[in-house]
Amino acid sequence: MAEDSKPNFSNGAGAQRLRWKYLDNILNRPGPFTDPDWEPGEAVVEGLSRAKILGAGGLGCEILKNLALSGFKDIHVIDMDTIDVSNLNRQFLFRHADVGKFKAEVAARFVEKRVKGVKITPYCGKIQDKDEDYYMQFAMIVCGLDSIEARRWINATLVGMVDENDPDSLKPLIDGGTEGFKGQARVIFPTMTSCIECQLDMHAPRAAVPLCTLATIPRQPQHCIEWAHIIAWEEERKDITLDNDDPEHITWLYQKALKRAQEFNISGVTYSMTQGVVKNIIPAIASTNAIVAASCCNEAFKIATSTNPFLGFPETDNYMMYTGDESIYTYTFQHMKKPDCPVCGNLAKNLEVDPAFTLQDFIESLAERPEAQLKKPTIRTEAKSLYYQSPPALEEQTRPNLSKKLNELVSDGEEVAISDPAFQITFKFKLLFSK
Amino acid sequence: MLKIWSMKQKQQQDESAATGPKKKKVTAAQLRVQKDLSELSLGSTMKTYFPNPDDILNFTLTIEPDEGMYKGGRFNFSFAINQNFPHDPPKVKCTQKIYHPNIDLEGNVCLNILREDWKPVLNLNAVIVGLQFLFLEPNASDPLNKEAAEDLKSNREGFKRNVRSAMGGGSVKGQSYERVLK
Amino acid sequence: MTATTPPPLQGPTSKEKKYDRQLRLWAASGQAALEESHILLINSGPGVVGVETLKNLVLPGIGQFTILDSAIVTEADLGVNFFLEEEHLGGFRAEHTCNLLKELNPDVQGHYITEPVESFLSKPDILKPYTLILVSAPISPELLSRLETNAVASAIPTFYIHCIGFYSHFSVHLPSAFPIVDTHPDPVTTADLRLLTPWPALSSFAEEKTTELEEMSHHDHGHVPYAVLLLYYLEEWKKTHNGQVPQNYREKIAFRDMVTIGARTNNPEGAEENYDEAVAAVLKSLNPAEASSAVREVFQAEECKSLTPESASFWIIAHAMSIFYKNHSSLPLPGSVPDMKAKSADYIQLQNVYKTKARQDFAEVLDTVRSLEKRLGRIVAIDEKEVEAFCKNAAHIKLVRGRPFHVTLPGEGVRWGDRAKFAAQSLTNPDSLILLYIAFLATDAFTATHPADDLGGAVKAPGEVDPETDAEKVTGIALKIIDDLISEAGMFIEEPEYSEVRSKAGEYVQEIVRAGGAELHNIAALTGGLVAQEVIKAVTKQYIPVDNTCIFDGVTSKSSVLRF
Repeated sequence: MAEDSKPNFSNGAGAQRLRWKYLDNILNRPGPFTDPDWEPGEAVVEGLSRAKILGAGGLGCEILKNLALSGFKDIHVIDMDTIDVSNLNRQFLFRHADVGKFKAEVAARFVEKRVKGVKITPYCGKIQDKDEDYYMQFAMIVCGLDSIEARRWINATLVGMVDENDPDSLKPLIDGGTEGFKGQARVIFPTMTSCIECQLDMHAPRAAVPLCTLATIPRQPQHCIEWAHIIAWEEERKDITLDNDDPEHITWLYQKALKRAQEFNISGVTYSMTQGVVKNIIPAIASTNAIVAASCCNEAFKIATSTNPFLGFPETDNYMMYTGDESIYTYTFQHMKKPDCPVCGNLAKNLEVDPAFTLQDFIESLAERPEAQLKKPTIRTEAKSLYYQSPPALEEQTRPNLSKKLNELVSDGEEVAISDPAFQITFKFKLLFSK
Repeated sequence: MLKIWSMKQKQQQDESAATGPKKKKVTAAQLRVQKDLSELSLGSTMKTYFPNPDDILNFTLTIEPDEGMYKGGRFNFSFAINQNFPHDPPKVKCTQKIYHPNIDLEGNVCLNILREDWKPVLNLNAVIVGLQFLFLEPNASDPLNKEAAEDLKSNREGFKRNVRSAMGGGSVKGQSYERVLK
Repeated sequence: MTATTPPPLQGPTSKEKKYDRQLRLWAASGQAALEESHILLINSGPGVVGVETLKNLVLPGIGQFTILDSAIVTEADLGVNFFLEEEHLGGFRAEHTCNLLKELNPDVQGHYITEPVESFLSKPDILKPYTLILVSAPISPELLSRLETNAVASAIPTFYIHCIGFYSHFSVHLPSAFPIVDTHPDPVTTADLRLLTPWPALSSFAEEKTTELEEMSHHDHGHVPYAVLLLYYLEEWKKTHNGQVPQNYREKIAFRDMVTIGARTNNPEGAEENYDEAVAAVLKSLNPAEASSAVREVFQAEECKSLTPESASFWIIAHAMSIFYKNHSSLPLPGSVPDMKAKSADYIQLQNVYKTKARQDFAEVLDTVRSLEKRLGRIVAIDEKEVEAFCKNAAHIKLVRGRPFHVTLPGEGVRWGDRAKFAAQSLTNPDSLILLYIAFLATDAFTATHPADDLGGAVKAPGEVDPETDAEKVTGIALKIIDDLISEAGMFIEEPEYSEVRSKAGEYVQEIVRAGGAELHNIAALTGGLVAQEVIKAVTKQYIPVDNTCIFDGVTSKSSVLRF
């Protein structure tokens, strides 16, 4: 990328701050709600310019624009998707000619060109492609992800990164999501406040219809479509992988569904409904995305600058729910941390072990640990099942590991998860080899 | 931010993991499946098989009913659990072509807790209990295999005979089935 | 179409593809209304909130927009407004934001006017071409007042928007009668089955499907639709209750127990889904088909009672509807049946029983409409579809009465009128953002008396230069507004609440003055989302709009909607 020949406005010096006249009123003046210890001025401006921030997901266009115009200078963006024509009604950095290109790439170039002095680094891929070292470089992460799975992943990753001896390892996670006229914005301080996993019950599971209704007693057009999708396709086109974006495939399902609907005198099957059911399309509009993304970026700005209190400060509100179809309603509250949260409820503890110990020795030593006497532990790492007490087949399959030495099974510093029928929670230990 | 960090340090009671080489961590789905596996009660009629013992998210469950019409059969179900478990239910399919009103010829299983009634508080044991129940009490209303259901409804004895012959690898009404006898 | 001919491919058009995710909300009718609309933005100050609003309207495809703004692009604009570039410095802000907004959607036409608001407004009928007007503060109160008067005269919905620092506010002045038919109620909670007042066809259907209920096979018994079950058990109930249906909560619970006991547990599943559904539906389905207070309000409206040849079609249909209601003590049946456990054929049959009745009711209303039209001597007939939509949504129609803005004309205080009591009570409500609203009103009053130039058009924001002095002045104005409100309401607020109210108002003022008239991009973007959403509601006449004031506090991330 060629450097612009125009003067660089990225640092906070003198006349070049003219552009940030409005922002500077806030950065340079205390308000009635700012912390008494907060010192406005140059340091705040500098901090904002230096903070590296990551944006990701379907709200990416809004997030990039908002962060760039909040004074952030070093922004990274991750998105695995390419641009589809149905994105154009809200993802405003994309044009018809961009359809098929990577979102992260097009969005980054656009905002970089529009807002001078901001550097935007795109990565076209999954958030899961990146490791802790990558996430470590950011001051905070702003996400508008559309899948619960991706949210849970980034959450668990950021919780796992927190290191007691390193303040830089605490990465605030700001998450936004929308669905039609509804949405939410929330702030998580990993390990300190309620995390995505604690809040899993806020996501309603997708309503499903019994398989037997689809197979025998369909009553609604959607039942006929689901039948075509789940049952007919497998019966008749087993060897072809269903591609939700292939119009031929959708047309096939549509015609199957229509025929079935006619058999049962059900009306209302349309191509658009077929698409909606098969792809689980969630309505999405520019205005809700604007509201939720801006709320997330407002919190990011407040966290980065301390210009006002922000959501997610421990023991205060951390969640804003938004509903816009019947007047405008927001509910802002503190979602409580769950003590038994599988992600943030019990963090990995260091455990020094002799690498020459066998797994059997190690298991016996666990039974003598003072805080939790693990008498029948089941142990695994992310990659390996070390020893399972049950079911019998797995016990048999993992039994040979008992006589292996720890250094043959795990590497120094690797995390193991240990469960035991006597305890509700699973313990996590980071095994440090004694020298 | 610094203020938050000082709160963090006050909040901390236990010594916990120090920085070290960054390693992949056991995922939330793995943790949950590990816990669920330890709570399975398989009894004498069920067995699990893990093609790759390191991958606990994919395995096979074998059910050998010791009573009812399907006694003497050996039925295999594949379990595929994704990283979104327990938000998403496990995907369970019968890997044999069998004659059963609630299991279609593709192996789809009609069990409420695998679909519309799944809740994250349910565990894998609830699923296997449900599967076992299907062999003790095949259910003729709202079936997946309509022919089998019709037989069960209209002629229970005939249905039983069909089950025996299908389990032996014979055909029922022109449809051939896999031999599943022990 | 027979099963042997493959159905024609009804693939979506390119427009349907582009707008797919929003058509699933407001459908083709809403989209058509958007595409016919022309939105005018009267911009001023940093001018971001209005442009962000337009962005969220250009994307979903309004027909046209016009930006009226005489400001010249300055360096400061580039740090807050996404729709300007360096090369536009020194040019007209209206022109360049318009051009960059147009890039977002080739289907939308954009125009700009660089004339000062004052001379623009002095032309006759100048607002006529516009569907809706957005006014961004600061604007002189005289001009706002004149604009509002003109817009109201043409029944053009008008929005007045503030966005300063971490705070924003907007008020909507809708036409004096703004009726909404397509309010999009939640289909799950609004099923209307008329189980307490079944018509003969429904009763005989239920009777037929429950003949020898006890003797039915497990399969049949487990597939009787729950609506039919409830009708059956209601008949049973009436036999032992003097022919009366359950009258109160206690009786409904008793009735529910009666249904619960009817379920079979000796079947393979040990329970019956259709009975579970019936039990769950008792409390919400056994309600008399009375019109809601919102609907009765429509019937009692003067416009509904005294029709004229010029009456809007809504009122003619509403009048016909009120006659129907008087004759039947119920509204026309919507005709939709929620999904319920049942055999396919039974469900379809049940659906048809409801559809047939709904068509009869609709035909009756349509007849009345036609005779009203004849009586009034109207030439153009109301579209049947409009009457049909009205019948389907009859229970959920809503009428919003537009209300004027609070305009802080110099020398005149803020008058709260019929809302004084409500407003005064809100002062001490910790969840209400009324004090922030008052801080905005005080800011308006301040700018009205502090013109930045001698032309009287542009205004000065508090805190631009001297935040401390300005904060003191604006706080003084805010406290006066509070005291006036308390006395207009004839109320008294005791200590320590009174001091708390005053100091809270002072804090809001300080935070506003801190910004010195600046817009923060995030708050402008958020507010632009809220306003755009409300514009879409006003243009499509779908969903329920804000009535009439919305306040957002970006410090606490909270909002309030208040009716003033």
